[in-house]
Amino acid sequence: MNARRIAFAAMILVVLPSACVRRSRPANSSSASAAASPAPVSYDLRLGRGVFQHYCLICHGESGTGDGFNAFNLDPKPRDLSDPAFQKKTSDADLADAIRRGGGGVGLSPLMPPWGKTLSPRQVDGVVLYIRSLRQKPGI
Amino acid sequence: MKRLFAISSIVFLVVLAISPAKNALRPYRSIQREFRRVGASRAKSSKTASDYQARPVAIQQIWLRGFDDRVDRCTTCHLGAADPSMGGAPEPYRLHPQTAHTPSGFDRFGCTSCHGGQGLATSTDEAHGTTADAGPPMLPLAYIEAGCGRCHTGGNVPEAAILSRGRELLASSGCYACHAVRGQNQFRSDAPPLASIPAKTGGGALRRWLKNPREADPNARMPNFHLAADEIEQLGAYLFGQNVPADLAARIDAASAEPAGNPANGKKLFSESRCISCHTVEGKGNGSAPELSHVASKVTRGWLLAFLRDPHAFNPRTRMPRYGLDEIQTRDLVAYFEDEMKDFEAPADILEPLHVNRTLAEKGEKLFRRYGCFACHGMVGTPASEKFGPDLDGIGEKRAFSLDFGRRTDLPRALPAWLAAKIAGPRSFAPGLKMPSFGFSSDDSRAVVTALLSLSSAPVPEAYRSEPLRPPSLVPGGEIGELISRYRCLSCHQIGAQGGDTSTAPLTFEGSKVRREWLIDYLILSYSIRPIIPERMPVFRMSRENATKLADALTSFYVDPSIPDDPFAGRPASDSDAKEGERLYVSFGCRSCHIIGNSGGYVGPPLSDTANRLRPGWINHWLSNPQQWRRDALCPNYGLTPTDALRLTSYLETLRAPAGGAK
Repeated sequence: MNARRIAFAAMILVVLPSACVRRSRPANSSSASAAASPAPVSYDLRLGRGVFQHYCLICHGESGTGDGFNAFNLDPKPRDLSDPAFQKKTSDADLADAIRRGGGGVGLSPLMPPWGKTLSPRQVDGVVLYIRSLRQKPGI
Repeated sequence: MKRLFAISSIVFLVVLAISPAKNALRPYRSIQREFRRVGASRAKSSKTASDYQARPVAIQQIWLRGFDDRVDRCTTCHLGAADPSMGGAPEPYRLHPQTAHTPSGFDRFGCTSCHGGQGLATSTDEAHGTTADAGPPMLPLAYIEAGCGRCHTGGNVPEAAILSRGRELLASSGCYACHAVRGQNQFRSDAPPLASIPAKTGGGALRRWLKNPREADPNARMPNFHLAADEIEQLGAYLFGQNVPADLAARIDAASAEPAGNPANGKKLFSESRCISCHTVEGKGNGSAPELSHVASKVTRGWLLAFLRDPHAFNPRTRMPRYGLDEIQTRDLVAYFEDEMKDFEAPADILEPLHVNRTLAEKGEKLFRRYGCFACHGMVGTPASEKFGPDLDGIGEKRAFSLDFGRRTDLPRALPAWLAAKIAGPRSFAPGLKMPSFGFSSDDSRAVVTALLSLSSAPVPEAYRSEPLRPPSLVPGGEIGELISRYRCLSCHQIGAQGGDTSTAPLTFEGSKVRREWLIDYLILSYSIRPIIPERMPVFRMSRENATKLADALTSFYVDPSIPDDPFAGRPASDSDAKEGERLYVSFGCRSCHIIGNSGGYVGPPLSDTANRLRPGWINHWLSNPQQWRRDALCPNYGLTPTDALRLTSYLETLRAPAGGAK
């Protein structure tokens, strides 16, 4: 009986540390690799950011404030997309609609072109998501 | 005896019970029971709620018969991956984000084909591969585009920008010169041959370069070999001990004896030639070719003159075009370089030839082989097919235990971390390693690691492979091929699948696009068509004869037969069509991007001289869908009716520069 107990204790002594090692290692590696590589942005947000930077930034500007380099040629000026009041009163569906049908399609200036036939629905949704991320934080 | 029998029966029963008990306690069961609750609580009707509650607890799997009989049981826990009502639910139940292949492609692609990990496993640690050294681990999300690269085996993958950037960097950094990778065996570096070094530069300048190329020139594509001072002396002695090919030596000698030119004129020529469409001056410019602000302290005057007159004699693979500058013009240009583009703090003897010591030179030759310099620069007697470094196929599947971490005990035992560290500081793993460091930014390093992680040892099954088409070259031989090569059109433009990416104007259908007369004038005196693009077509000083030949060839070879030259099909547009077109131009807001007369934006080309430049068939073709021409064209597709497209075309056809030609 005693011998069995000793064997059992020995087994636990062997198994426990190895179990601990197996648990602790991955935790280490995941935290270290997280530090080494930037936090991943969600797929849709990244898609939207890419589309925004390619097509929209020219007039709406990097941060969506309407100060793109082509903005000074335009009258009326491009919308400040980061304006919290604008963000609040405009639903996602309205934003997507304006992107798809353009200013002319929603009763605004035709200088904003319609993108519905250039961008896929997924890309439009991505841009809406990205525009939401441009909302100015109060106090900044 | 009885007692013994009783004990052994009990032990036997206990042993028998272990397996079912283990199964009953498997974590996925509680995960599935929790899913019932989460699903029911999010359900909009009591019917769906009870559907969730009635779901059986069982292993789920996707069996991909066509993909190496892959079995993915990830959906055993990730129960909401394809369930639209699980958007934003807590993990592991959340709906998979929409990508090109999900959710519609789950049955075709499964999970592990993109994410890696072990599909068959049903415990979290084993499936995700976080159990040390167990199975292949999942790709960390930061590198997830490596998964795209397993099937999309080459080139640019539009939806995977990081992977594409990584592949571009692997090629532009010359990785394929030393390392074999499937599909890259045709790769040849465009690094210059070094035989003319003794007449090209001086000992001081060469030392600076070898010490750290990126410090000598921020645009340098040569990596840093971290050479010790004595190694630099030896390599220098070897390079200066070579014989300059007689033809080049004669050109350089003759040029260095020429009188000085006129720097003021050179300055004018420098901006006209648009050198900064590729080069930079103090960081301003495209940056795909060397920084020029210190050029006169890097290379000798004779070499510079001879090189500018015929760069292709010095490096047949250079992307630099051969300008049509005459002797005096090149002299003026070099005079300008010597006046302003030099390092005023450099020692006076920076371009003095290095004194060659035979013993050092012999050691230098050994070093030249040891560091694999020949892989990019070439060397007589070394076969180009033999790769200097290890093959990289399969590097993305290497298991952590098979990697040599050497001195880097600080690294997590994972392939991505190992690759990132290897690229950042290859020599930090062990003394005596030969790989140089490339100085990538953290974003670029991530892109390169992504591209490396996509390299698998065996290709995926044919049905899943999406390889870039490699159509035959559309560039003719003969005189026209020579002209296209002389002016290096393909350094910037694209023809078919060939060419660089500096220009946004592919030449593949140039003949259907522009008018011959305009093209001749444009080749002789190029101007900026899209003013927002800093890279401009250089003024090549092309003779009218060459311009005519090139324009004739471009407008007759490169034609898309599906674009009719006369979109009006023999029924010319009326004045009212053009009026109507003008009205459309205004109501569509085209002027936000285009200038006509003196108003409009400058995103697209100004249109005041459209009729001089473009063919009506092409205008109509473009308007009907700009993205069919280039996927990334900025002009939105307005979904014009054919009638409206024709009306706009007829309006644009009335826009003509005043007699006397465009600009």
